[in-house]
Amino acid sequence: MPRRLSLSSDRLKLLDPEGTDGVLLGTRCRECGVTVFGSTVLCPHCTSDQLARVELSRRGEVWSYTVVHTPTKEWKGEVPYALVDVELPEGLRVPAALVDCPFDQLRVGMPVELTLRVAEIDSEGNEVMAYRWRPVKGPA
Amino acid sequence: MVRAPDRATQKRPDRDVYVLGVGLHPFGRFPDKTIHQMSQEAVRAALKDGGIRLSDIQVAYFGHVYYYGMSVGEEVLAGLGLTGIPVINVENACSSGSTGFWQAYWNVATGVFDVALAFGSEKVPRGAVTTRAADSHERLTGADHMMAIYGLRMRRYMHDHGAPVDAIAQVAVKSHHNATLNPYAQHQKEFTLADVLESRPIADPVTLHQCCPTSEGAAAAILCAKDVAQRYDPGLKRSVRVAGAALRVQPFHDRQVDNPDVTELAAREAFQIADMTPADVDLAQVHDAATVGELIQIETLGLVSEGQGWRYTVEGRTSLAGDLPVNTDGGLLAMGHPFGASGIRMIHELVTQIRGEAGSRQVKKARVGIAQCSGWGGVSTVHILAK
Repeated sequence: MPRRLSLSSDRLKLLDPEGTDGVLLGTRCRECGVTVFGSTVLCPHCTSDQLARVELSRRGEVWSYTVVHTPTKEWKGEVPYALVDVELPEGLRVPAALVDCPFDQLRVGMPVELTLRVAEIDSEGNEVMAYRWRPVKGPA
Repeated sequence: MVRAPDRATQKRPDRDVYVLGVGLHPFGRFPDKTIHQMSQEAVRAALKDGGIRLSDIQVAYFGHVYYYGMSVGEEVLAGLGLTGIPVINVENACSSGSTGFWQAYWNVATGVFDVALAFGSEKVPRGAVTTRAADSHERLTGADHMMAIYGLRMRRYMHDHGAPVDAIAQVAVKSHHNATLNPYAQHQKEFTLADVLESRPIADPVTLHQCCPTSEGAAAAILCAKDVAQRYDPGLKRSVRVAGAALRVQPFHDRQVDNPDVTELAAREAFQIADMTPADVDLAQVHDAATVGELIQIETLGLVSEGQGWRYTVEGRTSLAGDLPVNTDGGLLAMGHPFGASGIRMIHELVTQIRGEAGSRQVKKARVGIAQCSGWGGVSTVHILAK
């Protein structure tokens, strides 16, 4: 029975068996408080090993954007697509494709939130879910 | 947020090091040549230029990124005549060549060897360049795309500094002009601003002619301790001193917002070793994989103040006739970018300019030059060369 899988269990946790909702994962240093995206063996700021896995904010702001017309051969999504680098309140940036937004509405500073999309079907027929950003609907 | 402490050791050279000879194989596409043949031509040109024999070289560093069989540096030298010296293969992304040069410099500067060869070559595949292994999950995020990352940087630069697209694209016009005066360049053709802006969009606002091409080519440099250089070049008439050399990797996580810029750290170290400041620099070769890269790097090196690089460009101050000529041989944008060779190509151009041998692209004042080369993984190398 094909399932929905995260593209990286290190960075994206699926929250329901249907794989429709998820949250980004990070690592927070208990000694200096720095948070990084994904996992790390030692804190890159203070080299402490006193680390905790944390869920990252679901919302952030666009630090910058681009519209990719010439993708890499590994890209399996639509072309052209918008790529945004999003700054999270934790003090780190997570770049990913943006969905549900006309290109002429892209702005630096626009509020966005996490969403998931099927990025590819693996060799066993599972749907691999990738994180995407989309504009925040309604009041931010 | 707190800034990462600077963990650099305060390195000091024990003796002066000179570049005795430099050599290039033209940059472009050479389907009938192997990486070995191109590299051998560049090494032979450097040996001839320095008036030195291969048997006098004591250690060699070969820069490359893609796979051409194991120990490719040894295989290249085997074709010239292996002499039993240590050969080290260096992979540090786009800064592979300059990383080898940095290692060669410190080997000589600390007295381990008297004569070192730094060389590098590449055959970059056509198409958009990715940085991760093909099975990395990053390919599914849309972010593993070098020129898309430059698209993000360019848009942010425009936002932060009020720079118009035209002003940034002007970098490509300037550099392509320089390349028309360079017989080794991949693009020996003038481009108008309209040509650059109307070329195919890659990652808006980055267009095709604002990106470096994918390239093949090779470069080589021979470094010597001062007293040894004197033997081959009495009076050090053509030898050029390496006044400062630094290689740094981003000390904090590369996605972190408040992260010191790695070029700033490398530049600080190189200027300290050289006992110079940015005001001493007459010309620069910097990492312009896309147009905005040139602006960001000349600003981060401290050659112009932050956010002013685009104004310098529009005013012609970075052109050959300007007060701060940048990428005088065409840079990555027009000279081309064979990864393993590029960092040494920058050294080649500084040496040529400082000697006063750059012909029609010779700049008026060329006593001190700086070369900055970036590599994926948060690498930046900075070398300062002086008369």
